[in-house]
Amino acid sequence: MSIAAFAARRLGRGVLTVWFAVTVTFLLLRLLPGDPALAVSSPTQTEATRALLLTQYGLDKPLVEQYLLYLAQLLQGNLGTSFTQSVPVLDVLLVRLPWTVLLTFSALVLTVLVGVPLGVLAASRRGGFLDKAVQVFGVTGQSLFVPSIGVLLLFVAGLELRWAPIGGAYSEGTYGGQWYLSVLHHLVLPCLSLTLVQLGSYVLTLRATLVDALADDYVVLARANGLSERRILWKHALRNALLPATTLIGLQLGFLVGGAVLTETVFAYPGVGRGIYEAVTQLDFPVLQGAFLMLALTVVLANTVTDLVYGWLDPRVKAS
Amino acid sequence: MSAPLPEVVLGGVPVAPPAGGARRAGASTWRAYRRQPLGMAALVLLGLLVLVAVAGPWVVPAPASYGTDVLVAPGAGYLFGTDALGRDVLAEVVHGTRQSVLVAAAASAIAIVVGTLVAVVGAYVPWLDAVVSVVVDLTLSLPVLPLMILVAALAGPSTTTLVLVVAAFSWPEVTRLVRSQALTVVGLAYVDAARLMTRDHAWIIGRHVVPAVTPVIVVSVVVTASRAVLSAAGLAFLGLGDPTSWSWGRILYEAQSAGAMVSAWWLTLFPSLAILALVLSATLVSIAYNDARNPRTAGPA
Amino acid sequence: MAGLERPARRAVIVGGLGGLSAAAIAACAPSAPEEPAGGEEGASSAGTETLTIATTTDVVNFNPVVGNSRSDQWVTGLMYPRLLTIAGDGTKEAELATEWGYVDPTTGYYEIRGDFAWSDGTPLTAGDVAWTLNAVKRDAPSGTFYGQLAEFVQATAVSDTRVEFTMTAPNSSLVDEIGFWGCVVPRHVFEPAGSIADFANDGSGGGWVSAGPYVLTAVQAGQSYTLERVAKYPLVEGGVPVAAKVVYRVFPDVNTEILALRSGEADVIANALPPAQVEQLRGTDGLAVQEATGLGYAHMVYNMDNPDLAKTEVRQALARAADYEAIRQVALSGQAVSTGSSPLMPVLARYHDPSITEYPFDPDASRALLQRAGYTADADGMFGLSFRLIYSLQDSVTSQWAQMVKDSSAQAGIEIRLQGSERNTYLAQTNDGDYDVYAGNFAIMDDPVLNFSLSYLPGGAINYTNVDDPALNELIAQGARATDLDEKVAVFREAAKLVHEQVYDNIMYTQNLFFAHSDEWSGFISRPSELLSIINPVSVASATKSAS
Repeated sequence: MSIAAFAARRLGRGVLTVWFAVTVTFLLLRLLPGDPALAVSSPTQTEATRALLLTQYGLDKPLVEQYLLYLAQLLQGNLGTSFTQSVPVLDVLLVRLPWTVLLTFSALVLTVLVGVPLGVLAASRRGGFLDKAVQVFGVTGQSLFVPSIGVLLLFVAGLELRWAPIGGAYSEGTYGGQWYLSVLHHLVLPCLSLTLVQLGSYVLTLRATLVDALADDYVVLARANGLSERRILWKHALRNALLPATTLIGLQLGFLVGGAVLTETVFAYPGVGRGIYEAVTQLDFPVLQGAFLMLALTVVLANTVTDLVYGWLDPRVKAS
Repeated sequence: MSAPLPEVVLGGVPVAPPAGGARRAGASTWRAYRRQPLGMAALVLLGLLVLVAVAGPWVVPAPASYGTDVLVAPGAGYLFGTDALGRDVLAEVVHGTRQSVLVAAAASAIAIVVGTLVAVVGAYVPWLDAVVSVVVDLTLSLPVLPLMILVAALAGPSTTTLVLVVAAFSWPEVTRLVRSQALTVVGLAYVDAARLMTRDHAWIIGRHVVPAVTPVIVVSVVVTASRAVLSAAGLAFLGLGDPTSWSWGRILYEAQSAGAMVSAWWLTLFPSLAILALVLSATLVSIAYNDARNPRTAGPA
Repeated sequence: MAGLERPARRAVIVGGLGGLSAAAIAACAPSAPEEPAGGEEGASSAGTETLTIATTTDVVNFNPVVGNSRSDQWVTGLMYPRLLTIAGDGTKEAELATEWGYVDPTTGYYEIRGDFAWSDGTPLTAGDVAWTLNAVKRDAPSGTFYGQLAEFVQATAVSDTRVEFTMTAPNSSLVDEIGFWGCVVPRHVFEPAGSIADFANDGSGGGWVSAGPYVLTAVQAGQSYTLERVAKYPLVEGGVPVAAKVVYRVFPDVNTEILALRSGEADVIANALPPAQVEQLRGTDGLAVQEATGLGYAHMVYNMDNPDLAKTEVRQALARAADYEAIRQVALSGQAVSTGSSPLMPVLARYHDPSITEYPFDPDASRALLQRAGYTADADGMFGLSFRLIYSLQDSVTSQWAQMVKDSSAQAGIEIRLQGSERNTYLAQTNDGDYDVYAGNFAIMDDPVLNFSLSYLPGGAINYTNVDDPALNELIAQGARATDLDEKVAVFREAAKLVHEQVYDNIMYTQNLFFAHSDEWSGFISRPSELLSIINPVSVASATKSAS
């Protein structure tokens, strides 16, 4: 396949994915019960006002017409206007997106930084006590209920020890370098709890593939050639083992960006996940549609990058 | 709520030999499994939890609608303490176990049945497989948790909603995993041979394909169930759980909305421990099961 | 990866995409706020402190005539003054308006202070007041304000300090109600923006303009709202707000919010404390708890479209099948008062009628009533009556007592099926009349004319009973016309008695509200309801941090 055809296929897949997400959201919002006009107005509102609001929102039109209008607007890059905030959806989302990106990326980086040594450790001592300890630690982290661990962290590190601030993404009234320090300081606890939860699957995947790789022919060959065990582990086997682990990260990204709702709630972090939850409670259709569109785009981007990194890491592809 | 579970839990399961050897393979797997202390401990813990879910509610009476001893710390009178309405937390946890296990079991059962069916049929019928693979990929790329929140909020919180929502967003994962396994099997010689012998496709699928993917299914059940526990608890925590029956998530939600998660730590601790115990033991069991089937990953025995 | 054999091209793509995503991340990364320039003029009583107020919800809309959530009202309340405020007994007191009343039965007036100015220097005049009223009437924004204007026709500024408005029919409460629920916005900012219902007022056109004690200067959605002191606020002692800055911070989880208060990151919690936390926080070092009178009530309403519930005996039986005292003691930790099962709560001191007493909890009396109505109990003692009770899951107190009502009703042989829903589903069910029993509450039920009209007249927006009783309709109409207070009180007591006897409404309690703040801060002025409490504009502007 030529590179152009590959790119075209990728692009087609991406567009299809985004269309699918957008359509599912659109239909779910309109086919499930829930009336946005009731969500925004006070209970003393009359029926006429409600009808007027529905007309303003364009929800009085037939479903098909609404859908086509929505797609047409989307193609022109118009995500619509928030029902409740009277401002463009893009503005609503762009205020929150940076914080989610910061939180998820820092958690991913930390996961890899901690996960690689742990995975290597477990694989090199497979069957031993350390291996089991790493496995149990990983699975335990994965099985924790985020809000409970979040409140515990806040109580211990925030209130009792005063190591970390409680809630928010930065302190009000800090500027310049102070501000960046404040951002880092506020990031510590939410990042830690996210990392704890996702570390397990990364370490376990890495461990399993490392164990497989260590039994491969070329490792046996390398051993026979007298290469040190440490060099084999870190250089040759790890390179192969990183592949599935990388795929996993790509898969996780989509989960993470939207899935940090509970983390963001407990740590009062101003990200997209919490924004989605609030839009659900307000039945703000345009914001929800916009948010799901963005999440789908993130997934597409992540998958593309993962595929490319995969090709770059895979020695077999390189060798050919 | 939960990150996608590791591929490793499902990876590396060798293709089972055709029907006849299955029982022998099962016995040897069990022998290998029994040699793993961690796996056995997890299995015992899991068994205990299921026992509590099944028998607990007969032993411990249902939580009253209110009591006089409000927010009593754990002690002699109340082993797990009482909540803001004076209800016994132990009773809530025990009755919550049944609901939580039920949601997990029902959601994973639906997801497994649907997921496996789609995967196996897809693998067996090539033209369908292309469709299946696209649909699965598309569904997998949806942001699951926000969608679960959306559907649960709009459809109205109840145990049924919870089960269906979790199942609806779990089956594609199952399909993906089972499909790759099924594709290998369908390509094998004995299935081709079977195709020559009979035109009864259902028979072939039932006789050869399904048994071969059973190990993957067994592990999928555990993985999907434990994810269902976390998802259900998370939804309940956001106020989207069933308000009329006790679940671990509901205990946590009530502690949260009463602002009592810190001051009445026992309201947070016990249901969280229950969640941890169930998910942890289920995942460890599936890892141990895999190691038992495929000794290479377990390391020198 | 079949298409990627050529390493050079691949490297280009990887590099390009890597760079692109790095650029995307960099573009997405949060950027530092710019430091505001310049200091500020000091006044003798003015401090340099920042008062941090914690809330659980974001500000949804900065337009005070649209915004419906608590945080919207709290933050915009610091910028857009109300004409009137409310006292502990539900009567109205002066805020921006100094005098108010009627010119004739269908014309009301407000005389406003002459010393208010917008933060950009423009004086606040009767022209702003009249324009706001007329614009809200014209554009019908979705907030509570517009709901008060049903009988309002038009306002005119007859001088710089006097507004007069006309109404469709004589209504002795309209001046009070519009004065309290309405606010005043700067005409010179809002008018050029077009429809007042669509104006976001998000500061994008060069910031906000305020006539309250503080003006918004920075917003980080989901995290914080920063307001700075204005030069002059006539309603606070000394004429200048004490705290230099007020920061509203969002903590979606009330547990985190309490931790933040305990750690000193927040100074006040704006939302009323969960009942079970009040004693806990009262006993915590460094914290103080202050009470605000509740002005609303929680109630159960029986849908008379249901043929069984249309029978008075069935409603009376249900009313006697709930243990109200236990509900107040358990679900509210005793922080609630009985209303005597009357819509004229004790807090409305002028109206409350102590001769109306609470329905007794008496399952045997319920059974007797049902038997008299022709129902017979089966072997299990159940009468074959089954009703679906709806409530909002976001309302944790109601969620708790709903269960208690279910249990006590079963003792009387009536089955209650609980259906708790997410708030929006609950609202939709309420709107569609899709319930047998409705459980919920109202935060502010300050005025009998308005409340009785909305709750008990046919077609009333919150007539959840679907009651249409000619005798009651006549009493309410009579009360609305009455200008003499004693006559009005007598009429509404009569109406309340009818509601009580016929169980057109089952009012269970008024919740007492408690608010926590750091004991380093003092000088708060508590007003009734969660809306005003200790974070009403005058209170916030008066709060002082002790020198430590």
